[in-house]
Amino acid sequence: MMPSGPDTWFIPESLRTETLLAALATEFGVDAAPEYAATVTYADSFDWRLYRRGYILHCHGTAWTLYHGDSGAVTVQQGGPHLHRACFAGDFPPGSLRKVIEPLLSVRCLLPLATVSLVGRQFRLLNEDEKTVARVVFEEQRPVTGKTVYRMLRLFGVRGYDQETVRVRLLLENNGLTTPASPLIGFEEGCRAIDRRPLDYTSKFSLQLDDSLTSRQAMVLIYRHLLTAMQRNLPGVLEDLDSEFLHDFRVAIRRTRSGLSLVKKVLPASVVASFAKDFAQLGRITGPTRDLDVYLLRRDSYPDRLPAALRPGLEAFFDDLVEQRRKEVKKMAQVLRSKKTRTLLNKWRRYLASEDAKPAAEAKTPVDQLAGKIIFRRFKRVMQDGLALNADTPDADVHRLRIQCKKLRYAIEFFRTLYPEKEIQVVVRQLKKLQDILGVFNDLSVQQDMVVSTLEKRRGNTHRDLEIAAALGGLMQSLYEEQLALRCHFLEIFTRFSDPENTALFTRLFQSRK
Amino acid sequence: MSIVAVYNIKGGVGKTATSVNLAYLASRQGRKTLLCDMDPQGSASYYFRIRPAKKFSSKKLLRGGKHIDANIRGTDFPDLDMLPADFSYRNIDIALDDFKKSQQRLHKVLQPLQEEYERIFLDCPPNITLLSENIFYAAEFILVPVIPTTLSLLSLEQLFAFLDKIGQGREKVLVFFSMVEKRKKMHLDLMRSTQNQTGLLQTVIPYSADIERMGLYRQPVAAALPKSNAAQAYERLWNEIQTRITS
Repeated sequence: MMPSGPDTWFIPESLRTETLLAALATEFGVDAAPEYAATVTYADSFDWRLYRRGYILHCHGTAWTLYHGDSGAVTVQQGGPHLHRACFAGDFPPGSLRKVIEPLLSVRCLLPLATVSLVGRQFRLLNEDEKTVARVVFEEQRPVTGKTVYRMLRLFGVRGYDQETVRVRLLLENNGLTTPASPLIGFEEGCRAIDRRPLDYTSKFSLQLDDSLTSRQAMVLIYRHLLTAMQRNLPGVLEDLDSEFLHDFRVAIRRTRSGLSLVKKVLPASVVASFAKDFAQLGRITGPTRDLDVYLLRRDSYPDRLPAALRPGLEAFFDDLVEQRRKEVKKMAQVLRSKKTRTLLNKWRRYLASEDAKPAAEAKTPVDQLAGKIIFRRFKRVMQDGLALNADTPDADVHRLRIQCKKLRYAIEFFRTLYPEKEIQVVVRQLKKLQDILGVFNDLSVQQDMVVSTLEKRRGNTHRDLEIAAALGGLMQSLYEEQLALRCHFLEIFTRFSDPENTALFTRLFQSRK
Repeated sequence: MSIVAVYNIKGGVGKTATSVNLAYLASRQGRKTLLCDMDPQGSASYYFRIRPAKKFSSKKLLRGGKHIDANIRGTDFPDLDMLPADFSYRNIDIALDDFKKSQQRLHKVLQPLQEEYERIFLDCPPNITLLSENIFYAAEFILVPVIPTTLSLLSLEQLFAFLDKIGQGREKVLVFFSMVEKRKKMHLDLMRSTQNQTGLLQTVIPYSADIERMGLYRQPVAAALPKSNAAQAYERLWNEIQTRITS
């Protein structure tokens, strides 16, 4: 098999490239490729969607290169947009690069991370037939944010020439290359300069809890984690880089509010009441923008719902939504930038660092006892609401079940590390299926509401108004039909969620913990 | 994933030059490519400066799996690997005979390699044997270089007759004219009279000293002299073949 990946070492300052090359030349022919030099900017989404899949993307002007992070092998090279503040996969011309990154990035934008100047040269090492048996690359990496230059050497083996790779490694070692280096050191150090670290953000809630914690200690950790998520997403929300910043910001608020309402008697009631009110307010002012985002994200799929004759009106409707969103974002940003918001977040941070003068009744209860109780209570509630479902259940009740499921999901996620991971995965998978379908159902409701309220607001009777009204009528019909079809479907999925096996699993995991 | 066998019953028609250049061009598109040198003379291996491992043999080839993995060599070009030939391939038919379903052995051996390689090229020896039958069975396309001469065209007829006999479809066959000399009237006449040949590709590879010299610089002409007429012709040929390859 292939000799294990490339190896990379730092070149000590005192060691000259010529010395190393001379050492290699004692056993191999050495063929130099021309020197390369470029200042590249690495880019990824805020939540590292490319890095997570083993990719590294950088651009040099409008020339983009996608690498495999481990092997350093170039996957695709292609022209693309200029990366100023942010850009989307959709800004790239159709081609193989876009084909790879578009499904990974989805709605997330690419942000510039680190800019690094690279200078290097590749040498092929040849055997007596002048056949390449290994490659070495000398490279200097300098993040433009600093002065440090990282000098390194990378060794790439060639398949079928393992013995030669071993020889090269030995020669290098004997000549002073002993400190392994990360081939991405420039990228990593450049990220550090802007206070980023690969994989330092994910929209998933992941917090390791320890069952020796008291309930208050655990909840404080959870709230702090969520507060950090809010604060990290806020700049992206204000800059309006992509819709996920606001989404994640809102999810962190909702999780916090869920915590405040589900977990009683761990923080003093007065504290809970006051912050619950403030976070509800924060959630409310971000709602309209998010609703518009949900609509606009589907812009491309909507025309398919309508006959061609009605489509022009749809375009006009969306143009209006874009305009409406612009106004909403402005309004929202004003509130988010306000002293009031800043004070709320700071006050919450300070509170979480303090002790209660008069601890609440359950503050000292071990967290695992609290967790089981809360999750199981939520589960019972979901079962109760779900079993009452039938094909005629009003939309509002379906919506309520969706909220109950969300609360159950949040509760499980808060405390998941206290339970066996495998079983939690089963539980979450079942719940997620239910949530997905309820989510789609609810989205369809929200979209219809939006159509209705738009129609109510539009009173004009210009040609454009009529076109829009006609398109919205068609859209309404299409949304309604899809929602109707979903109804029978979620009864089926709920039946699966509430089957004896899943119920037994919930009971065993969460109830027995009392 | 596709396996292209470069084949002709006749020798000296430009098979190896074709396999080497097409494999190189395929790999340059960033697709992992494997060139299998099936010819015991090992010319393709020579062009890539690769010597077979001492312990490799036709028996190991046919056993497949790790025996093949251990003998694949990286070439001088990224994404292009090669399975060098061994002199023992000259008796490969005898070794093949030991296997059940001996016509399908090569297909079975190549199958796992298709997970790693998107394109596999087989540079085949010039004859009709049990190995050829294996190659026809395994390949998605049989690419046949033909010099526009009477004998060469006759060998093409023999190939079709053989395919019919073993129950392999003629539609696998892609034919192109190779080593064409425009100043030879016979070449032009024969090419004109065979315009309607089934599976005939439009691209023509000219006779070229640059291709002949590949033995000296030991690289695909498309790598060594990318601007040369020969290199450009191979590029056109590869583009045309790709329009036929579905996967």
